[in-house]
Amino acid sequence: MKRILIVDDSFYMRTMLKNMLTDAGYEIVGEAPNGQTAMELAKETKPDLITLDVILPDNTGLDVLKGIKAEQPDMKVIIVSAVGQEVIVNEAMEHGALSYIVKPFSEEKVLEVVSQVLKEE
Amino acid sequence: MKSREQEYKEIFVAEALEYFDALNRLISDLEKRPQDDQVLAEIFRMLHNLKANAKAIGYLQISDVSHKLETAFSLIRNKELSFSDEVVTVLFEGVDLLGELIHNIDNESYGEPDPVLLRNLDIIVDNLSDSTIELAKVQRYNTSKNLSLSELVYIQIKKLDHLLNLVGELVIDRDRIVSISRELDNSELKSVSSHLNRITEDLQYSIMDARLVSIGSLFNKFPRIVRDIANAEKKEVDMVMEGYDIQIDRNILQIITDSLLHLVRNAITHGIEKPEIRAKKNKPRNGNLSLIARNDRENVLIQLTDDGKGIDLVQVRRAIAERQMLPESAVANLPDSEALSYLFEPGFSLAKQVTEFSGRGVGLDVVKNAVDSIGGRIRIDSEKGKGTTFTLQLPTSIAVKGALLFEVDEIFYAIPLLHTEQVVAIEIDELHEIGGVLVADIFGETTTVVYLNELLNVKEQEMRLGDKSRLKGLVQNIIIVSYNNRKLGIIVDKLYRQQDIVVKPLSKPLDAVDLYGGVTLLGSGKVCLVLDVPAITRYFISRRQVMAGELNI
Repeated sequence: MKRILIVDDSFYMRTMLKNMLTDAGYEIVGEAPNGQTAMELAKETKPDLITLDVILPDNTGLDVLKGIKAEQPDMKVIIVSAVGQEVIVNEAMEHGALSYIVKPFSEEKVLEVVSQVLKEE
Repeated sequence: MKSREQEYKEIFVAEALEYFDALNRLISDLEKRPQDDQVLAEIFRMLHNLKANAKAIGYLQISDVSHKLETAFSLIRNKELSFSDEVVTVLFEGVDLLGELIHNIDNESYGEPDPVLLRNLDIIVDNLSDSTIELAKVQRYNTSKNLSLSELVYIQIKKLDHLLNLVGELVIDRDRIVSISRELDNSELKSVSSHLNRITEDLQYSIMDARLVSIGSLFNKFPRIVRDIANAEKKEVDMVMEGYDIQIDRNILQIITDSLLHLVRNAITHGIEKPEIRAKKNKPRNGNLSLIARNDRENVLIQLTDDGKGIDLVQVRRAIAERQMLPESAVANLPDSEALSYLFEPGFSLAKQVTEFSGRGVGLDVVKNAVDSIGGRIRIDSEKGKGTTFTLQLPTSIAVKGALLFEVDEIFYAIPLLHTEQVVAIEIDELHEIGGVLVADIFGETTTVVYLNELLNVKEQEMRLGDKSRLKGLVQNIIIVSYNNRKLGIIVDKLYRQQDIVVKPLSKPLDAVDLYGGVTLLGSGKVCLVLDVPAITRYFISRRQVMAGELNI
């Protein structure tokens, strides 16, 4: 079972993502509401994939991405962003994010992106 | 049914209101320090989340207003818009509008937002600095504004546990006061105590109610688990669930979660056959599993039914005899329901093969212990070739139990109603001694009967469970209790009434006596022992076996 860490500051978004992913058979190893927790959990749980919101209360998703990549260069990260943040998304892709999901997302889209990224071994 | 949509909505509203409150605080801060980047970033983040969440759930007005405000704040952040009085006013009003929209999500009579305000927001967003005409119409301070807090609070379960304990103490004192006021016959005291009575009852039910959750929160986890186990076992299983809405105490649900999971695993691994085998037996290839919860008077019934191979009673009887749990002659005469109840004995497993999902030592006895620990009951019904049904009867709430009060040897006792089947009065002539114990024909059923005084108060060496001469009086009051598909009649000296009791755990040194589930205080101030029916039944069976052994020698 593939293990996923969800990083998003909104409880609502985390709940939606968690439900969609667990329903599809993924295991959620943790949920982080901020960058600090995200980096700790990434180190602790070593997930197969991280979904990363780009706007977080303590730092930007980009800083978190860089922090995680510095310690675990092979970590798979998908960016979760909203419309209008294309600049950040592009920058994140340059820093090693594998794909992105735009809010509001559909269940199909989330599962499509997640399964695609996890398939690329 | 409290659906996932409902759950999403509650989370959305709770979170949106938090954002709304924080936004109000933050824009006040910003008014004092207009260039504080951190405050701006926070405002931006919250509006951003609100916009995305509202769009996801489909509250387009909220997402639209959030979007406009977000744009306005990003203009301020980029210094393209100054945080002037007029702008501040419109932004405050915009945030207020958000609050209004969030509060009125369920209000169908809520109309459209004030068009002037929307227009003003557009003016700011489009940075039409000349179009300030309408801004002037906006009132600076709206003093009639109501303060409002979130409608939902999160509360730790241990705080609810504490409240429940306190109300338990209160109920006991209440009963005492009601009883004293009756004795004193003082009309003022009577009126106060009757009011206290009502209030306490209301408080007790309110707290019990606050602890209720819907069974759906557990049921929702099953489809996924069933799919995984079925895949691993190479079986095809269709699952039906009903009763998501049924409410039950959160701690009770917690305690039976593992048990239910265990039963579901058992049903798939040991119950439902592989598709090829089912096809040969003219059964549909897909096995059917149903998990149904419903209310049954004060209790909650959960029924798990599979249409698998059922339990082979011949095999069960053989296993009982092999394990020497009963003499072979007795095994043959055992009613089916009683034979099945042996499946709950520790170490009694029929599984020949250990699989990944079941048969790993955690047996039905663990399930039974969990159900016993909350004062519930469990039974199995099974037909070979047709399938098996497990029925769990659980209390809705843990604190207060309906109980039957009675007296034996001048001591008060209570038996929880969940375990009582019926109460009968029979003449002493109708009791017969068979095999060292008393039996009686009660409504056409031969039922074993025990005099509670003999079982509890007589030294083990002197105990004579079949000796009628130790009974007092001609007519005997018998409470029929049922535990694990077995019935037992308990002879008591005096029957009192049915009453709601609050069970308190026993304190030392009595807690070593496991025949009692706890103690309660009666209104008269007298202590009343609460019988643990499972423990009493087991104790009776062990005494009977010892005596049967002695007789054989």
